[in-house]
Amino acid sequence: MAKKIGVYVCECGNNIADNVDIDRVIKALSPLRDVAVVEKHRLLCSEDGKGFLRQSIIDHELTHLVVAACSPKQHEHTFMSVCIAANLNPYLFQMANIREQCAWVTQDKEEATDKAIRQIAAAIARVAYNEALEKKDIDVCPDVLVIGGGVAGIRAAQVLGSPERKVYLVEKSSSLGGKVKGFDKLFTKMESGSDLIEKELKKLHEAENIEVLTDSEVEQILGFFGNFEVKVVKKATNEELNCDVGAVVLSTGFDLMDPKGLPQYGYGKLDDVCTSLEFEEMNISGGSTGGKILLKNGNPPKSVAIIHCVGREDKGYCSKVCCMYSLKFARMLKAQLPKVKVCQVYSDLCTPGKAYQKFYEETEGLGVEFVRAKKTSVTQNGKGMTVKYESETGSKGDLAADMVILVPAMQPSSDANKLAEMLTIPIDNEGFLAQEHQKLAPVASSVEGVFVVGCAQGPKCILESVVQSEAAAGKILSTLVPGRKLELEVKTSEISETFCTGCKTCISVCPYSAIDFDDFRRISVVNEALCHGCGVCAAACPSGAARVKNFAFAQIYQEVEALLK
Amino acid sequence: MESNGNSTSVLVIGAGIAGIESSLLLANSGAKVYLVEKASYFGGNVIKWEEVFPNMECATCMIAPKQQEILQNENIELLTLSQVEAVQGSVGDFTAKVKKKARYVNLESCIGCNECFQPCPVEVDNEFEEGLSKRKAIYIPCAGALPNAPVIDTDNCVRFKGEDCKLCQEACMFEAIDYTQQDEELELRIGAIVVATGFKTFDLTQTPQYGYKKLNNVYSVVEVERICASNGPTEGQIVLQNSEAPESAAIIHCVGRKEKGYCSSVCCMASIKQAHFLRNKLPKMKISQLYSDLCVPGRVYQRFYEEVKESGVDFIRATVNEVTQQGTGLAIKYKTENGEENTLNVDMLILAPAIEPETDSSKLAEILAIPQDEHGFFSEKEPDLDSVDTSREGIFIAGCAQSPKDVPDTVAEAEATVGRILSLSR
Repeated sequence: MAKKIGVYVCECGNNIADNVDIDRVIKALSPLRDVAVVEKHRLLCSEDGKGFLRQSIIDHELTHLVVAACSPKQHEHTFMSVCIAANLNPYLFQMANIREQCAWVTQDKEEATDKAIRQIAAAIARVAYNEALEKKDIDVCPDVLVIGGGVAGIRAAQVLGSPERKVYLVEKSSSLGGKVKGFDKLFTKMESGSDLIEKELKKLHEAENIEVLTDSEVEQILGFFGNFEVKVVKKATNEELNCDVGAVVLSTGFDLMDPKGLPQYGYGKLDDVCTSLEFEEMNISGGSTGGKILLKNGNPPKSVAIIHCVGREDKGYCSKVCCMYSLKFARMLKAQLPKVKVCQVYSDLCTPGKAYQKFYEETEGLGVEFVRAKKTSVTQNGKGMTVKYESETGSKGDLAADMVILVPAMQPSSDANKLAEMLTIPIDNEGFLAQEHQKLAPVASSVEGVFVVGCAQGPKCILESVVQSEAAAGKILSTLVPGRKLELEVKTSEISETFCTGCKTCISVCPYSAIDFDDFRRISVVNEALCHGCGVCAAACPSGAARVKNFAFAQIYQEVEALLK
Repeated sequence: MESNGNSTSVLVIGAGIAGIESSLLLANSGAKVYLVEKASYFGGNVIKWEEVFPNMECATCMIAPKQQEILQNENIELLTLSQVEAVQGSVGDFTAKVKKKARYVNLESCIGCNECFQPCPVEVDNEFEEGLSKRKAIYIPCAGALPNAPVIDTDNCVRFKGEDCKLCQEACMFEAIDYTQQDEELELRIGAIVVATGFKTFDLTQTPQYGYKKLNNVYSVVEVERICASNGPTEGQIVLQNSEAPESAAIIHCVGRKEKGYCSSVCCMASIKQAHFLRNKLPKMKISQLYSDLCVPGRVYQRFYEEVKESGVDFIRATVNEVTQQGTGLAIKYKTENGEENTLNVDMLILAPAIEPETDSSKLAEILAIPQDEHGFFSEKEPDLDSVDTSREGIFIAGCAQSPKDVPDTVAEAEATVGRILSLSR
């Protein structure tokens, strides 16, 4: 079929017309190949303009459309809708920005007119090679897999479970509640962690359609957003459960960095040096000391040093919540042993937000000492210990303590790494799972449909972990709507079977893990459900096999050639 | 819940980054969203920042695609120049009265060409630019502001003061200016409400020891953001009041922290970011940070701090006692933790003010019948656990309206309100 390209130049009132000789533009473009009609209009985005454009497409039986007007950011959407109304595939339309990129910036009217002619000629050259693309959608499964049954995972399941949406909550240990259930007190209200978990579990039981799988591990996750296939194994019985879900929430929590790697603190060698989690354990009534804070010799400590930021330098990040829970420890110590001397050995106090500074001030008011220190070390001194340190100005100091609590850096639990590998999510410099966007997509991972929340995503307090769970739920509830299909990106990448040499370069650069390797045919294959059409693969492909729809080489070369002619 | 087809209607108050994120997710789920913004433009505080930490992305470029989505999404009704006046009812069935002030410019016919500004005889301080530049009585606050249409400021327009001026109307090619527009009272039926009213900064004149508004070249962090902005009053040229480039600057952290009684959480990073930005533009500039405790929480911020420190920015732990004019420069008297007293001479002083709830928070709290804390931030239902729920079912909070926080935490809360709202409706 012969091409019939219609070209419409918008005067934008006087915005374009004042500085571009539109009649000369029309005259210059009319003879171009395949151009059926070139016309101007005072304001194409107005109701009158849109009506005129729609009627012209129909009357001239146009096969392609070029609109020369403002920025596509402003009105591409508008004119695509006109195409649809006129029964023209909206991808057979191209916009030339002769306002922001020409009339408003090129002072001389002659020059601006020449430039506009080139810009529009380039759009005409390009549009002739545009392909008609169709929107695609796929069926999706609304169900969700939540991995990790701590406070974050419990909340995610609570919010997500409904009659139309099943939630599988997988926990590797024998019970839900994660680390929080082992905390005797929580900042700032000094309420019990196990009480909090109990309340959360009650709400979980009230929520509908939740299958809790304890003592279980996720063995395999295949597929993509909307259609994941999951294999879960019950560890004790080796029972296998296979389920389909549309999205995955990772809430695998944190581990503490092992202070044995930092011998200056004496952990593992000195009796009464413990980690923060070991101190927490000492405080719960069901713990090894029955809730009593005791030294190894069975006596209560008289002086306790809490050393902040253990391993911070090695990790390269601040673990955010340690200052606050160290203050909490001071309160727990003072509550149980009113005469105990407590010293916080810290570098910078991190008490962000509206509520934390007050907690700090009140704790200081209990007679807790604060020493700003660096290069801290712990040595045995008779029956007790000495904490040596340097002040900021370099002067040396020390203090005596018969118990030392180390506050090590938080890191993602080892399960997170295993799952990241399974899901092909990259790990960042700090050891956490990569995010889709650091600022604007805090809970979305780089793999669509997989969310990372709570301390698996970065060190954070309970409140922030819960927020992230609800955030992941918000994103899932708004996109995986039961009974609704998922609309896919139209301008996706495609890889030519003929040209692909199977070098896998594209797979290594794809930020969305949207390309798989077909072992049988030895070629790369794009998964349209995951591809965002970013074009990185097309740029990297050494054999020219990968390209993004409507960004074909022919289109780009024609466009550039016409611009430079 | 209030039925709209088979889903919810939601009122989102405040169209900053939090309100935008909530609205988009809600609308994509099929909910009808009324996004109410009191200003003539939307985008909130974030669009004032030239670049955001730690990746130094251009903030406007970062959120402009989301803003375009808001404008194009058929489920979202953006109501600028609007304020909530009353709310009645309960979860699933609220009625809100919204007052929508007249723009006097027709959004359908205006194309944002700015032809109407030039003839306007009025010139006043541009609030968006912290008064560092002037604007007309018909104006767009900054290039790139959305919606791309001006507003008539009736407090300053001479026509609204009784003169027969029609200069802007005569300049408009599209008959978009309509002096007869009237304020409207809208009544909205909604199932849930998101409060995302954001923050303002501490009034620096309350800490006179730093010389703000008394000495030359003492700025707030927000003012410096605008000076750094390519669409700002100096088009990104970093200059002193005498139009010369500064050779040195100091940034004082925690201004107003003592007065407010809390740490505003993002100021350390914002101050470090400004040092990064200034050094990038003026590599020889000497920059000192005067701080008390460095707050760089979480997985990515410390690395950014280290980079900036290694680039040669001085970090001095000290309390500042007094700032005085010294010739054309400024003398900062400070005391370190071990009691040493020193003076630092700089060309430019930047103050990092505490973050406070928006001005109208108390009024809004009353309208919505939700509690505020002692600082004026909206109170969450369960401190330390649920930050987006308020004590009133169906009303949620997100972002700095709840407590000072950074963009990712704000976005997470906005998304969390959506989780809560969409799980209510079943």
